[in-house]
Amino acid sequence: MRLLLLLCTLDRLLLAYDQNDLFEKEVRPVLAKNCFACHSSSPLGNLAMTSSEALRKGGNSGPAVTPGKPDESLLIQAVSHTHARLKMPPSGKLSDAEISALRKWIEEGAVWPDSAVRQMAKPGGVYRITPEQRAFWSFQPVKKPSVPSVKNAGWVKSPVDAFLLKQMEAKGIRPTTPAPKHALLRRVYFDLVGVPPTAGETDAFERDRSPIALQTVVDELLSSPRYGERWGRHWLDVARYTDDKLNIVADEPYANSFRFRDWVVKAFTDDMPYDRFVKAQLAADLLPEQDREPLLAGLGFYGMSAQYQEDRPDVTGKAFLGLTVGCAQCHDHKFDPIPTKDYYSWLGVFTSTRLKEHPLAAPPIVEDFQKKEKEIAYLQKELDRFRQMQSRQLAEILMTRIHTYIPAAWKVMGPRKATVADTAKSGGLDEGALQRWVDYFKRNDHEGDYLAGWRKLIAEGGDLEAAQRLGQEFEATVTAVHQEIRGIEEKNLATLDGNPALAKVALAPYPRGKYVFWVDLFGDSLTGVTNRKGARVLQYSGDDLDRFLEGDWKQHSAELCAKLVAKKKELPAKYPFVHIVEDLDKPKDMKVHIRGNAENPGEEAPRGFLSILSPETPTPFRKGSGRLELAEAIVDPRNPLTARVMVNRIWTWHFGVGIVRTPSNFGQLGDRPSHPELLDYLAARFVESGWSVKAMHREIVLSSAYALSTDPVGANTKIDAENRLLWRANIRRLDVEALRDSVLAVAGTLDPAIGGPPTPINDDKNRRRTLYSFVSRRKLDATLAAFDFPSANDSSEQRLLTNTPIQRLYLLNSDFMMNQAEQFAERVKTNAGEEPAAQVRETFRTALGRHPSADEVRWGREFLESGEPLSRLAQALLSSNEFLYVQ
Amino acid sequence: MQTPIDRRTMLRRMSNGFGSVVLANLLGSERLFSATLGPHFPGKAKRVIFLFLNGGLSQVDTFDHKPVLQKYHGKPMPTENPKTESVTGNLLGSPFQFRKRGQSGLAISDLFSQLGEFADDMCVIRSMQTDRPAHDASFFLMSTGHNLAGRPSMGAWITYGLGVENQDLPSFVVLCPGLPTVGPQLWGSSFLPGKHQGTHVVNSEVAPEKLIPNVRNTKISADSQRKQLDFLSKLNRDHSQRHAQDPQLESAIATMETAYRMQTEAMDAFDIRKESENTREQYGDSHFGRGCLLARRLVERGVRMVQIFTGPGQPWDSHDDIMDHKKLCKDADPAISSLIRDLKTSGLLDETLVILGGEFGRTPAAEISAVVKVQNGRDHNSLGFSTVLMGGGIKGGMAYGATDDFGYRAVENPVHVHDLHATVLHQLGFDHTRLTYRYGGRDFRLTDVEGNVVKAIVS
Repeated sequence: MRLLLLLCTLDRLLLAYDQNDLFEKEVRPVLAKNCFACHSSSPLGNLAMTSSEALRKGGNSGPAVTPGKPDESLLIQAVSHTHARLKMPPSGKLSDAEISALRKWIEEGAVWPDSAVRQMAKPGGVYRITPEQRAFWSFQPVKKPSVPSVKNAGWVKSPVDAFLLKQMEAKGIRPTTPAPKHALLRRVYFDLVGVPPTAGETDAFERDRSPIALQTVVDELLSSPRYGERWGRHWLDVARYTDDKLNIVADEPYANSFRFRDWVVKAFTDDMPYDRFVKAQLAADLLPEQDREPLLAGLGFYGMSAQYQEDRPDVTGKAFLGLTVGCAQCHDHKFDPIPTKDYYSWLGVFTSTRLKEHPLAAPPIVEDFQKKEKEIAYLQKELDRFRQMQSRQLAEILMTRIHTYIPAAWKVMGPRKATVADTAKSGGLDEGALQRWVDYFKRNDHEGDYLAGWRKLIAEGGDLEAAQRLGQEFEATVTAVHQEIRGIEEKNLATLDGNPALAKVALAPYPRGKYVFWVDLFGDSLTGVTNRKGARVLQYSGDDLDRFLEGDWKQHSAELCAKLVAKKKELPAKYPFVHIVEDLDKPKDMKVHIRGNAENPGEEAPRGFLSILSPETPTPFRKGSGRLELAEAIVDPRNPLTARVMVNRIWTWHFGVGIVRTPSNFGQLGDRPSHPELLDYLAARFVESGWSVKAMHREIVLSSAYALSTDPVGANTKIDAENRLLWRANIRRLDVEALRDSVLAVAGTLDPAIGGPPTPINDDKNRRRTLYSFVSRRKLDATLAAFDFPSANDSSEQRLLTNTPIQRLYLLNSDFMMNQAEQFAERVKTNAGEEPAAQVRETFRTALGRHPSADEVRWGREFLESGEPLSRLAQALLSSNEFLYVQ
Repeated sequence: MQTPIDRRTMLRRMSNGFGSVVLANLLGSERLFSATLGPHFPGKAKRVIFLFLNGGLSQVDTFDHKPVLQKYHGKPMPTENPKTESVTGNLLGSPFQFRKRGQSGLAISDLFSQLGEFADDMCVIRSMQTDRPAHDASFFLMSTGHNLAGRPSMGAWITYGLGVENQDLPSFVVLCPGLPTVGPQLWGSSFLPGKHQGTHVVNSEVAPEKLIPNVRNTKISADSQRKQLDFLSKLNRDHSQRHAQDPQLESAIATMETAYRMQTEAMDAFDIRKESENTREQYGDSHFGRGCLLARRLVERGVRMVQIFTGPGQPWDSHDDIMDHKKLCKDADPAISSLIRDLKTSGLLDETLVILGGEFGRTPAAEISAVVKVQNGRDHNSLGFSTVLMGGGIKGGMAYGATDDFGYRAVENPVHVHDLHATVLHQLGFDHTRLTYRYGGRDFRLTDVEGNVVKAIVS
């Protein structure tokens, strides 16, 4: 072939063919797998690796490729680690075969075939998933690996250890020392139940020499409802749980959102198999009738979706599959094999679904409530209509009295300086009505010159006769303006008949000057509430209006009011319900929205599963919206992602760092697993165990690796400073739930009640666990936000825990901390008496689960003996790093 | 008059009363616990004040003079029928007088007659464009660089990039007496570390302890608290020693000291009652006036970004009657002009970039939909509007770009919101394509995949 190439006149063509082949089969997959994540659309170091030109141009360090000269090419120096500084890719050196493929490609001119460029850039057209894309690690079936053998077999307590140690040994790293017993116990408590052990529990554990001491504790914690509260909240981050609607104008809390939260908590407490847990959240309403009722509340995952911000395909992809399906809304996914069509085939499932309230009360109660609610609405409408009519008529009547009110107002505001009350009484006028005229004239924001006559009258000190004359004139002016405005109103009311969309229909305009004047006198127009806040001199409503009513009119108004009040009193509190979803009667496929634009429809997108996770073309969903089929496809044990993604989440919540560090992105741009075999082992075990989350906890928590101390080992730090191999435990700040709950627990004030409606976290009487605090997506509570609680507007893959002065101000000064410190101090005094050293010891033991050192006792004693109260010492311990950080 | 504080002065001030150990910790801490980057090149600006006229400022009544519009008042727009959110009718000439102001002769209407005195410091971008004539999408785009929820705000990006200048104050402060439309997501940090999110201060209050939660301890004396902290420091240092001085624990110690100092610093910074009666009068006793005064005190103390929203909801949304702008400017004009005057006097304007504008502009034609009455107002306009930049190395006394004869559509040098963001970052010393944050496996940036620096307005 080579010889032929050199000789043949078709050499160029053939060379191109050969290079094409080389590029497609050996070069592009290497680049795609190892380089594109950082060097494509947002090029790190300014280096894009998406075309031959881009590579020749290079980045901050200069040209990456010199065609024909592999040794001079930075790319080759970096991947073969011969360059002094650049060693790529960061995830580890490429194999020799991969490097030689790159060398060869550069040697042959680094040709980037047009076909490849097209495939990356071309929107629309037939979408084909390439073999390299299918070969991506996370799409491979889960294969349960055998547990590896290691040199230091004595260290291995569980298969998890063997997988971890194997990689440590390969890098020449030895695990650090085991954690002290009290530290380990504290870690397990924070991890599994979110509060520290009591001093008694610590003592008992330290005394227990049995080899299954830890296992006993773990079993006990896992069977406690405290466990469900801790781990349920983890899932609620993923499920973007919220207690209010996403309303951009006003607060709109849900009365029943907590039923979803409580359902999730109970699902964890009961160790509901994860496949069932997923199916419940997607399609409980479509499950066999006998299973349905207890699972319906799970539909809150979708039942509280934002109504005007479509996030359901995105959240579904991230939460259950670790795929950023949402990225395919406007264009085919740039990196993962997810065509836009897949996005819309999912969206079709969700747009064939509607939000619904599912009552938890007996039908007669529901019907009774709805009937009463309707009656109230009807009565309210009647009353409003009646009052509006009377109000209008009254305004017109008072308009015909202007000629008497103006001279009266002159008596008050002119040289006579009479009081309003006297003037009204002597003239037989309504005192309130006269007061309104006076107030109106006193204002300084009149527009136009309608009041020029009045001002002149006052300024020139006109007499009663002049005032009377002005009254007649002014009344005539008002009447003329009113008639003109009413004329326009009638025309507009006719236009608005039939309720057209207000923004899209044009009305006859009101002449501005006259309208402003008219609003000052008459208030709202008939065609809707005006946003101008005028004086409304002639407009009366409510009780003010009733003052003018008499006889049957008065009685009618009073009766309507009384009936309404009575009916409202009769209305019981709304029955409980859960937020669920249900299928539309006529589920429908969607068309692709080209570039995400609904007004630019493209090809049909039949409802179905993702192409990459289907063997061939996805089978269209046939049953209703397709939610149940979607759920079944997700939890199908052959699906390579579901189990991997969930065990990785569990791992992340235990260690603070995942095997894959992007728990909701297992795609091309996500992290690669640090321990792929361990991930597969756990995923396989997860399915074997019947999708038991608690089985996973036991696999992980009862390992030697979990029980390591945080102690650094110098030699290890040189090789693996970021502790990717988990040779020691990570020091971690408590999240806001564990922090606040622990303060309450230590102070002895924690209210153990489980579930129920949320309470604001800043309510002084709120002693409940933090997960029961009100979670708003409109305005996240400042305390929760300060301690890194995630936004409820998006699925959150993990908490980013920060360290800020605002957090410390909370610890130093908040009422909550001050109060709890007082309570804690009282508790200590009860147990330890008045002797300072004893108090110090008791405070340390309760807050930190250990005895203080001699130094610490001395510092504490000195502090107390300087005249500071015990509560200040207690607060200091609750704000100490040892309390805030889990070791 | 407050003078700008240089870094050395600030450090000296911070070191008062503390041992060198603490100070050393503090100096190191900036790098230790802030994952910030620092500028890519020396930027002209160090701080930003964003005066957000939420609801949408009308360009043709303020900064974009259109004599032709006046001529066609009451007639249909001859070139096209403006298509926006609601139905619009005939053209509406501006009821406000325009005058040439300053040496540059920049035309500005009487609505901003006081601010007009600083015409030579102003660059009016008259060719701004955003994506959609809808409030929420445009609020998001202007504040976060993206049409939908879920991205970090500009202020969060700026503090992430620049880092903290004054450790004793929040770096990004948002002033609004209530919530603007959309709400806190406009200053959120999204996937950036939580400390970069804006601290919302409800500036309808005046007393600092009501503005910042937990800033003061009402129960114990300062002495007593210092003793408590000294005791706590001993515990924390001892604990850190036992953990090989883990960097996380070390920075936590420094943060506690910062918080302690913040109690005095923030109490002072946020207290506009410390200004003279005269000054307060100049700014005006309005939300906007108090907001601008507070903004000045904060940037003087090294706060990176202050974003002022005019009021709750969308006050500038004058659909019905453009005369509503006059009421709003009665507060805004003296407030903004006083702010600029003070920043100029102290020299701070040179390194403070002031942005003035709304999430979009307004139509030259009157809205005539059924939601309006007098048809003397304007609908939303995403195709052309004005944003004013001042200070921070921006050329003054100039207009950039242009709309058509009626002020409807940007026709000359259009500047998209992404371009504005790129330019703001450029003034702060960032290549906007390189200010990135890796999240969910992807590099994100304020300008997404767009944005060009408007070089012509940069001095």
